[in-house]
Amino acid sequence: MRVMGVKGLTLYHLKSHLQKFRLGKQPHKEFNDHSIKDDLQRTSASSSGMMARSMNEMQMEVQRRLHEQLEVCRELPHPNVQRHLQLRIEAQGKYMQSILERACQTLAGENMAAAGGAAGGYKGVGNQQGVLPHMDGAMKDNFGPTLNFPPFQDLNIYGGDQHLDIQHNVERSSPSLDGHFMSNKRHGPYGGGGGTGKSPLIWSDELRLQDLGMAPSCLGPQDDPFKTGVIQIGPPSIETSGIGKLESLSDIYDTKPGISNDGIDERKFELSPKPERPSPRRAPFQTERMNP
Amino acid sequence: MAMATDNAFEVDFYSNSTTTSITDDSPACTWNHWGSPVVDWDSFSSDPDDFQDLIESMMDDGTGFELARVAHETSNSVSTDTMVVDEETNGDEDSKGLRLIHLLMAAAEALAGDNKSRELARVILVRLKELVSHNDGTNMERLAAYFTEALQGLLEGSGGGHGKHLITNGPHHHRDEHHHTDMLAAFQLLQDMSPYVKFGHFTANQAILEATTHDRRIHIVDYDAMEGIQWASLMQALVSRKDGPPAPHLRITALSRSGSGRRSIGTIQETGRRLVAFAASIGQPFSFHQCRLDSDETFRPSALKLVRGEALIINCMLHLPHFSYRAPDSVASFLSGAKTLNPRLVTLVEEEVGPIGDGGFVGRFMDSLHHYSAVYDSLEAGFPMQNRARALVERVFLGPRIAGSLARIYRTGGEEESCGWSKWLATMGFKPVNISFANHCQAKLLLGLFNDGYRVEELANNRLVLGWKSRRLLSASIWTSPHSDL
Repeated sequence: MRVMGVKGLTLYHLKSHLQKFRLGKQPHKEFNDHSIKDDLQRTSASSSGMMARSMNEMQMEVQRRLHEQLEVCRELPHPNVQRHLQLRIEAQGKYMQSILERACQTLAGENMAAAGGAAGGYKGVGNQQGVLPHMDGAMKDNFGPTLNFPPFQDLNIYGGDQHLDIQHNVERSSPSLDGHFMSNKRHGPYGGGGGTGKSPLIWSDELRLQDLGMAPSCLGPQDDPFKTGVIQIGPPSIETSGIGKLESLSDIYDTKPGISNDGIDERKFELSPKPERPSPRRAPFQTERMNP
Repeated sequence: MAMATDNAFEVDFYSNSTTTSITDDSPACTWNHWGSPVVDWDSFSSDPDDFQDLIESMMDDGTGFELARVAHETSNSVSTDTMVVDEETNGDEDSKGLRLIHLLMAAAEALAGDNKSRELARVILVRLKELVSHNDGTNMERLAAYFTEALQGLLEGSGGGHGKHLITNGPHHHRDEHHHTDMLAAFQLLQDMSPYVKFGHFTANQAILEATTHDRRIHIVDYDAMEGIQWASLMQALVSRKDGPPAPHLRITALSRSGSGRRSIGTIQETGRRLVAFAASIGQPFSFHQCRLDSDETFRPSALKLVRGEALIINCMLHLPHFSYRAPDSVASFLSGAKTLNPRLVTLVEEEVGPIGDGGFVGRFMDSLHHYSAVYDSLEAGFPMQNRARALVERVFLGPRIAGSLARIYRTGGEEESCGWSKWLATMGFKPVNISFANHCQAKLLLGLFNDGYRVEELANNRLVLGWKSRRLLSASIWTSPHSDL
């Protein structure tokens, strides 16, 4: 009990520390409202960049707190609760990432359609399948995966360790979740989609998914459930300019033709390389933490 | 809680309230430094007759307008960087916040009255609109902007907060018009900034895990799957489960509603595809089905496809901040239909509302104001520097909820909004299932990641309630069918 008491004291001190930390001694002090306002006056793209940095900050803050709490609580009873919570939060984050990535891709698709003059923002994407792969190289140079989730790299969600290298090689300090979500020509306070070239996007997980061995396919009509095309995952071809309104999320994960709904699980199971169990290593929190 | 008072008429109004300084160092007051007034909410829920006195006192001697003028001047000097507030600014913001509350209350009272007082309501709302802004200022100012707009909607009879009336620099915010990416961004931010979504999901999921440790097949019927994120963490937990059969088969049936045109964060089909892909990525055997609700959103249990030997779970998430409104009849049809299926477990998450009392519309209005002020404060306390992010969440999710909720309260007298489904389940004969110690620990740990201001209470053996400071906000309860031997 005495040991527990000592640990409890540590937790209390940590929380006080966190509270002080929140009360203004944050490392991201430059991202206060003044700079947000100034940037809003400059270009709308950088306001969305500010929003993206804001979101990024929060994600990192949440992760940091999670890490610190877990470090402290390691000795407390029910350590499994902490570990499980970490894994579950990461799983939710991973899933969220897939939603956002698909939104990116849809936006990208629409931009391709818009740029290529195809009729009808969304459906036109399918016709430009050939264009998508060509953009890979260029896009890869300009944009990198920038979703700063150090713990997620441990999860091997889509199998295989090689994906970690991709993450490591890429420019990390730029904001994630950028203006493509916020760039909204018509309304909203976060400005239109002016491209300034400094808007990298998340697409690291597309690379991972590609390693599943799926051929890129066209993005079929959104309301065609479970029927069309191959399982797609090409890297997104993303432009920074002229981001249009996001009509819907593209359906990346179409099944292979001929698979009924009930069979989806088995087939999908086989298609992916055997995933490793997420390992709740704690060291990576520190070694892979980004510089803000 | 103490109430800051520097206005004469407040002393008259709340004759039995305490007036203490708010400038001490006790932890209960630290949140005050972020511009939120420390309010004695109980004192607001008094006899409606008192409101008439308030209104008269405001109108007769011009005090109200004088205060408003002063507040207007003050608001120009209030820094939007709420971290750099000193004592004087602190007091001004608190005063202004309280003035806004009084004005809102007066407007609500006027609206609840006869036609003559509707004119009064109109006047008060005009004044309010000068003082508030959707995007700038303190929590109270932004919150008041949305409540003002909601009241304006009631006044004009549109009943839904549809914006023909702009509040200074506030934009329209029809729920339907929200840019899809705005909604996604707001949803992501909501999850990063607050534990509401995770609390509901994780508490339910932990109970599901515990109830199915030895099952090979699990079937979850999800009332409102939305984007499906609840099941990501459940799947992760299932694949890493050490006891019981490895990787039990998980089946999710999501209820779908015939096209409302508004797709919020995505269609059910998209959700299904995502879940299938996610399950595949972590090696979880999985299948996904839809079950259509009737056009009036009634649930018919016969439309479900059930498999012998599967553990049936009924999952009913309501009132999470990013959720759409669901009519009580629909929810009732779901839960009562569920009873006929003899489920292993029923997981219910719903908003926790204050006691109804006799306050009528004004009482419910003030309770709603209290509720959302706690939500706003909780977001700010965790991330005080992220004003723009919070404003987005407020615009996309909270503002429309406020407008819709007030409209329903106005029309139906608040009975709809205060439906306590957990009470209803108990009445229907569902049996409570204890929340485990591990589940409770998880909730505490989760809240601790966000802010000390959150707390979890175990209000019953089967019910955890998440609250901010002293305000209860979200309740998670676990049940089993009346005939189960769980």
